[in-house]
Amino acid sequence: MGTSQAIYAGWMEIPNSAVSERAYTQAEEAVLAELVSQYSGVLYRVAFSVLRNPSDAEDAVQEAFLRVLRHRDTLGEVRDHRVWLIRIVWNIVLDRKRRAKTRPETDDVSELARVLPTGGLSAEEIAAAAQHHAHVLACVEQLPVKERQVLQLSAFEELSSVEIATVLGITESSVRSRLFRARNLMAGLLDHARSLR
Amino acid sequence: MNPHNQDPFLSNSVSETVDATLRLIANLPAPEGLSDRVQAGLRVQQRRGRVLAWPSALTPASTWMRSAAAAAIVVVVVGGGWGVYSRVQPLQPARVIATPPHAATPGDFSNAGAMRKPQTLVGPVAPQAAAVVSPHTKASGKATTLPARDKKSAAVTGTADQH
Repeated sequence: MGTSQAIYAGWMEIPNSAVSERAYTQAEEAVLAELVSQYSGVLYRVAFSVLRNPSDAEDAVQEAFLRVLRHRDTLGEVRDHRVWLIRIVWNIVLDRKRRAKTRPETDDVSELARVLPTGGLSAEEIAAAAQHHAHVLACVEQLPVKERQVLQLSAFEELSSVEIATVLGITESSVRSRLFRARNLMAGLLDHARSLR
Repeated sequence: MNPHNQDPFLSNSVSETVDATLRLIANLPAPEGLSDRVQAGLRVQQRRGRVLAWPSALTPASTWMRSAAAAAIVVVVVGGGWGVYSRVQPLQPARVIATPPHAATPGDFSNAGAMRKPQTLVGPVAPQAAAVVSPHTKASGKATTLPARDKKSAAVTGTADQH
């Protein structure tokens, strides 16, 4: 049925505007549900890579979709929903991390050992791997914000450097130069840590 | 790690170490039922939004609602203006204070056209001086009286002129 046609049900007339509005809302809900089922996983992983806390990451994903719900009128104007959603969740997690600075970091060794995949390793090996990863992540945390953000996003295979640039709102050449600096700094930090041992 | 993000100048071991850790974190699986929970949260939010939403007749999109709002604004503005206008009193014309015509008294100061004139005080009145006898008139045996001006100064200073 075309939305421009009026619906007559006996003596009751339903106005065109109500029909089109309802159909439009249902279509939007369907699009939103599709976005949730398609991208909630990647959004969770992006959120977790920054927050390193499962419940916080899930909250961030929920908040991102609530923002989408509030601005669902603009859904039609978005070209790449995936990058758009990642940008939303990225801003949310950065904001949350900034606000929760006083809270103790959750990326300690035990928390990491709990979430990392075991892969048939022994308990000792898992503990050693967790310690190693925690040490690398601690070095990542020491990087300047700009370099750290690029390094964290570059770990996602789904994101090209152009898409990272879109998420961060910078140029692609900036992404490359920041990534170069980040790796250099990481090499220095890891070497320094090794020499101290 | 993204293949086009690789940096060939860095040592492989450091780059691989960092990449391996970050990739491990980035590829952690999402928890079970995440999308269901998100969907449920969105549904709850939508329902809450509908409960709190205005009825469709009262939305700004409806034309009669716009007209009613415009009329209400006009009524408030006009009513407020009338309230102010009705309370403010118009300016009264300045009252002229009528002053009685000055009756010039003889021996008084002139008012020189002034509206008010300070009251003229009555000056001190010197007592009538007694007859002063000068030495040479004393010798001649004739008593003379001082002129009126000298009398006055003598009264003020308490001495008589030596003339």
